[in-house]
Amino acid sequence: MNIFLHELKVYRKSTIVWTLSLAAVLVLFMSMFPGLTKDAADFQKLLQGYPEPVRKAFGISLESITSLLGFYSYVFSYIVLCGCIQAMNLGVSILSKEAREKTADFLLTKPVTRSQVVSAKLLAAISSLIMTNIIFLAAAAMTTLSVSQKPFDMGTFLMISLSAFLVECMFLALGVLVAAVMSIKSVLPISLGTVFAFYILNMLGSVIGEKAVRYLTPFKYYDTAYIIRHASYEPRFIFIEALFIVIAVSASYIIYSKKDIHAV
Amino acid sequence: MNVIELKNLTKMYGKSRGIRNISFNVEEGEIFGFIGPNGAGKSTTIRTMLSLIYPTSGSALIFGKDSVKFAPEIKREIGYLPSEVFYYDNMKVKDLLKYSASFYKKDCSHRISQLSKMLDLDLNKKIDDLSFGNKKKVGIVQGLLHEPKLIILDEPTSGLDPLMQQKFFDLLKEENKKGTTILFSSHILSEVQKMCDRVAIIKEGELVKVEKISTLKENNHKRFKLETKMPVSQGFFQMDGVQNLEVKDQITSFLYSGNINSVLEKLTQLELTNLWIEEPDLEEIFLHYYEKENEDEYFSP
Repeated sequence: MNIFLHELKVYRKSTIVWTLSLAAVLVLFMSMFPGLTKDAADFQKLLQGYPEPVRKAFGISLESITSLLGFYSYVFSYIVLCGCIQAMNLGVSILSKEAREKTADFLLTKPVTRSQVVSAKLLAAISSLIMTNIIFLAAAAMTTLSVSQKPFDMGTFLMISLSAFLVECMFLALGVLVAAVMSIKSVLPISLGTVFAFYILNMLGSVIGEKAVRYLTPFKYYDTAYIIRHASYEPRFIFIEALFIVIAVSASYIIYSKKDIHAV
Repeated sequence: MNVIELKNLTKMYGKSRGIRNISFNVEEGEIFGFIGPNGAGKSTTIRTMLSLIYPTSGSALIFGKDSVKFAPEIKREIGYLPSEVFYYDNMKVKDLLKYSASFYKKDCSHRISQLSKMLDLDLNKKIDDLSFGNKKKVGIVQGLLHEPKLIILDEPTSGLDPLMQQKFFDLLKEENKKGTTILFSSHILSEVQKMCDRVAIIKEGELVKVEKISTLKENNHKRFKLETKMPVSQGFFQMDGVQNLEVKDQITSFLYSGNINSVLEKLTQLELTNLWIEEPDLEEIFLHYYEKENEDEYFSP
């Protein structure tokens, strides 16, 4: 419990900054929506001017972008990207901290098992993510409600918003695994690099329309168009995600527990 | 009762480095020295005892319990001070010590203020702003605040000024009087000599010897230095027990272990102008261990 509280405190500042930034970006974009719907036809025409591959790469769909949920999904795809950077950063950083800051001699000579250390850190990371998501969701819901002229399906809105957390969990698990396996000197290049690699894969997949890519990049697991149409997630991907997280997290526990902690 | 029991403790990194078949016991209430040059395997042994690293073979029993299997339980009663101390930089000293205390199920606040007062440590500073010596003091308080039954010190005095070292040694002796066992690793022999009852000597990953400090010092080793009218011929002191023979003009010096009478007999054959017979310090005896080993290696095919 003390490790959990300690870690939570350490990441408090960065969690607040991430939360506020994500909320601010969303509020900024959503506040453009009323102006956009006024000139919906002009806007669509403008977007038509872009070549189709570009539109696909950036996830712009002409039919839905002028609807509230369509526009929200578009903006939201960047929120997910940022959220995943936060999640991966958190995962890599929280488990590699002892090695990076050379505090392993402090923490790991205390009367705790390595598993307890991993559990406390995982829990702190997830709590930070949940905190970010709750506050973001509140800000997003309020903004969306205030800019919508027509009623929209709140359930679908929540499902889209929640998918961010689901994708973030995968990157958190991946980050923790990376931190358990590798010895990490600096966190940001690793987390940014990994998340962007998957994001670019996602963009490429959209352009070439290859179905198999959907399985490779978590950014494609929760397709907003599908959620809007069916008001549900695709069970197959929930299953794959659950499987991935279980494997990554258990591997992290095992590797971290067996690791030799060398003198600095 | 043995507080530490190492049985053929082996840790290999690849093929060469590491420790091989280290076995020794430390009894309750002892101050046990652990000496050897840098890179001999002192830290590796200690880190294995703390299950920071895991043994390749053999085992370490602390308080009679396996150091890997019962690690958390054992560590409740261990205080550890690493050779280089690193803490969470943007924490205040006070908060770090509180965090450290929160791992032990007892109230340590009184002890924290007592120790930091004794060591003259400012609790309100940030770790980041502390000098190396002051960080070391945080380490000392952090290692002792839960009144452990076993204190493990890995080259603890680096960074402390002589006055602080003395305070630290006094503190350790006080703890020892209360029954605390202390394992003291160092490459500085004088401090081991000052503190310890027994000592284990380690070299290139292998245990050379476990010896009482007193026997190590006695061991019939005497340092002879003599001044003669005429230079002594090289072959004159060719006899058992003479080591490190040095002849410089009128001054001859050597280390002797064995029957004092036989060397005195030799001396009577010389015309002496001056004679010193001294207790060698540990350093000399210790260096001798190395030199001998090196010679062996040198002459082995």
